[in-house]
Amino acid sequence: MTLSLFALQLLNGVEYGLLLFLVASGLTLVFGILGVLNFAHGSFYMLGAYLAYWFAERTGSLLLAMLIGLPLMVLLGLFVERFAIARLYARDHLSQVLLTYGLVLLFNELQRSLFGNEVHGVATPPLLAFRIPLGDQAWPAYRVLTAFACLAVAAAMRQVILRTRFGMRVRAGASNAEMVEALGIDVRRIFSSLFAAGAALAALAGMLAAPLTTVYPGMGEDILIVSFVVVVIGGIGSIKGAFIGALLVGLSDTFGKVLLPGFSSAIVYALMAAVLVFRPRGLLGQPA
Amino acid sequence: MTVPLRVRALLIAGAAALLLVAFSHDRFWLQFLGKAMITCIFAMSLDLLVGVTGLVSLAHASFFGIAAYLLAGLSNRFGFVNPLLTLPLCLAGAALLALAIGWLSLRASGVYFIMVTLAFTQMLHYFFNDAPGFGGSDGLYVNQRPQIGPLDFSNRTASYLAIWTALVLVYLFLSRILRAPFGHVLAGIRGNEQRMLSLGYPIGRYKLVAFVLAGSLAGLAGYLDATLYGFVNPAQFSWRQSGVLLMTVLLGGKGTLYGPVLGALLLTFVEHYGEQFTSHYNALIGALIIAVVLFLPGGLAGLLRSARD
Amino acid sequence: MTEVLLEADGLSRSFGALTAVDAVSLRFMGGEVHAIIGPNGAGKSTFLNLLSGELRASAGRISFKGQDVSRATPDRISRLGVGRSYQTAKIFGELSCAECVWLAAQSRERTSMRFFRPAEMYPEIALRADRALQACGLQDRRLRLARELSYGEQRQLELGMILATGPQLLLLDEPLAGLSHGEALSVVALLREVSRDRALVLVEHDMDAVFSIAHRVTVLVGGRVLETGTPGQIRASAAVREAYLGTEQP
Repeated sequence: MTLSLFALQLLNGVEYGLLLFLVASGLTLVFGILGVLNFAHGSFYMLGAYLAYWFAERTGSLLLAMLIGLPLMVLLGLFVERFAIARLYARDHLSQVLLTYGLVLLFNELQRSLFGNEVHGVATPPLLAFRIPLGDQAWPAYRVLTAFACLAVAAAMRQVILRTRFGMRVRAGASNAEMVEALGIDVRRIFSSLFAAGAALAALAGMLAAPLTTVYPGMGEDILIVSFVVVVIGGIGSIKGAFIGALLVGLSDTFGKVLLPGFSSAIVYALMAAVLVFRPRGLLGQPA
Repeated sequence: MTVPLRVRALLIAGAAALLLVAFSHDRFWLQFLGKAMITCIFAMSLDLLVGVTGLVSLAHASFFGIAAYLLAGLSNRFGFVNPLLTLPLCLAGAALLALAIGWLSLRASGVYFIMVTLAFTQMLHYFFNDAPGFGGSDGLYVNQRPQIGPLDFSNRTASYLAIWTALVLVYLFLSRILRAPFGHVLAGIRGNEQRMLSLGYPIGRYKLVAFVLAGSLAGLAGYLDATLYGFVNPAQFSWRQSGVLLMTVLLGGKGTLYGPVLGALLLTFVEHYGEQFTSHYNALIGALIIAVVLFLPGGLAGLLRSARD
Repeated sequence: MTEVLLEADGLSRSFGALTAVDAVSLRFMGGEVHAIIGPNGAGKSTFLNLLSGELRASAGRISFKGQDVSRATPDRISRLGVGRSYQTAKIFGELSCAECVWLAAQSRERTSMRFFRPAEMYPEIALRADRALQACGLQDRRLRLARELSYGEQRQLELGMILATGPQLLLLDEPLAGLSHGEALSVVALLREVSRDRALVLVEHDMDAVFSIAHRVTVLVGGRVLETGTPGQIRASAAVREAYLGTEQP
């Protein structure tokens, strides 16, 4: 493997990892703080991608599609939280898994009716349709944008959670929702904003990824499973862990595809198995 | 848990009715009800984990699928047709896989356990879909169905009777287990794991045994499925398979054993006729699942219990 | 005869920068009721969790009858003969009282990996369970679901469950918390009964109860042992009074 090929795969791996982080962080936030395992999280990713495709087709601009699509997804997140997720807060895992799985089926059907069963390509924005040379390889400029966008979102998330009053309430709500409520702070509002934010994160990732992965019916399920692996590897309730886990998965998957083509998907699961054996609470999870 | 008298009567009547169907020689009903009964076994095996022990596992499709594929492999590669040989081997395969997946998954707790079980099942799905030699997404035919002496299980009636026998035996077996000390431990684990530990129970061991037992029974269902249809495919490892089965358990009434049997029967009818009724079939199932979670969390068994009061 | 049943030697536990338990060395003798008191946040519950194996110590040793159990899991410690109750009674809400006690009694079997004989056919378990139900006074409530019991009755049930495991030493975390005066009196009477041939380690805030049944009292402040002595000595101690800052005069 030449140095430039290595560098190319490294960049690809990091970029994929950053996209995964966007999805996984939304997932972690929702069950870390709301206590709900949301199987429909992948559907938000999928719907975001489809909205990006649909609006981009019609407006000719991916950016415009994202600007229209994201608010729509936030609204959808608020709607889903109000009518479905809110009923799951005190309930057992089985109910949460099944109800959100029911949502997955509904969303799949929605996608099928609105957009059909075919695979759709999404054009890379013409402004970024060039490649940056890297030795004897070249890296697509669009991927640079995607990577930076994810990093920006990650940094913003960190700022919000650590430095703002909202973030403080979120962290307080995570440790003691009853206490927060007793202090007069509207926990319901925090929860719905958080859920909507999680949906938006997943949708954003889907929109950014659309030109890279194409838009296809099973994409929600695929990304959800990988997010699960990221979260298990990264650690219980840890956003930092999700970041590290995402990068690990992104890199091993990318290098795996190049070095061991037949077994690439198995590598990620093997990684998860190894974490389970040696650090069952995840790389950054708290020991018992 | 004691089975209410009216339910006991219902179960016996149902078993008798199902047995009578065996002599009808009706192609459609033999296969349809055969499938329904296989789903009953599959659902009961999951109930042992979900309803009795409180472990929400999405790995169950793995054990169903591995046993089915093993049968295909044993029949196609080695020409093994004797069920006295293939059945134990397939069950052992399912048990070993359950041991491996169970041991790894149980190291994670709570929601992480659920995620890990799904991840492993998906891994197997990709494997059987993509790896060469396993028939790809089309699956494999079982060249020769099990056959022992004069009994040929490619004959629908013979398969049906085998499935019926298995269903009755599995129900009786699991009922026995639930009343035994082991079953009590599982109920305690579902109730309060920390308390069980501080009472001196090494609960990890019991969870693993339950997982392997449940996985083996899921393997039995897979074996019977491959025998009935003579066909195996990667969709058997799908997420949807596990998800719908989980719904069956809740719909029927988790933890009761007979509940999931009723749920499985009902769902087999819904699946079959629903597909003919509407093309938006998945939305129907999705809505049904949501409705059950929100409005009927006790399932059919819960309805039956409150009806007698 | 007084033997050292449980011994903590230099036991410490930190959570990041917070040291909840700081080099605590205590001995718990057979047949003795040893109370642990102290202001809120003194580390009493954390200390109990260390003893029961539910928390791993950051430093120090724990031994039970001479055996090192510093790294033992909670189930192993229970099987050695230690019972544990919690600040909020941990029982099986969806099971009946009889079933709760049954599970506790069944834990003493060599193994519960038995699949074919119904549990009722094990008379030893039935005997143990029955005796425990009688001891905690809940026979007439035996068919009630545990979650339907009053708070005080749930505490009794929890005690019954622990007794069914035949422990030599009981770790009790505020068994009287949240009880009405009448309920507290019956639980104290029960504890007195129980303590006749067992060791009790009792974390409590109810001073009347503590001084009426304890043989020895340890005062824990800020995770450290301030003083250990007879109830009379502790009551008279100026240091102890100061530590409580007048919030709870013993």
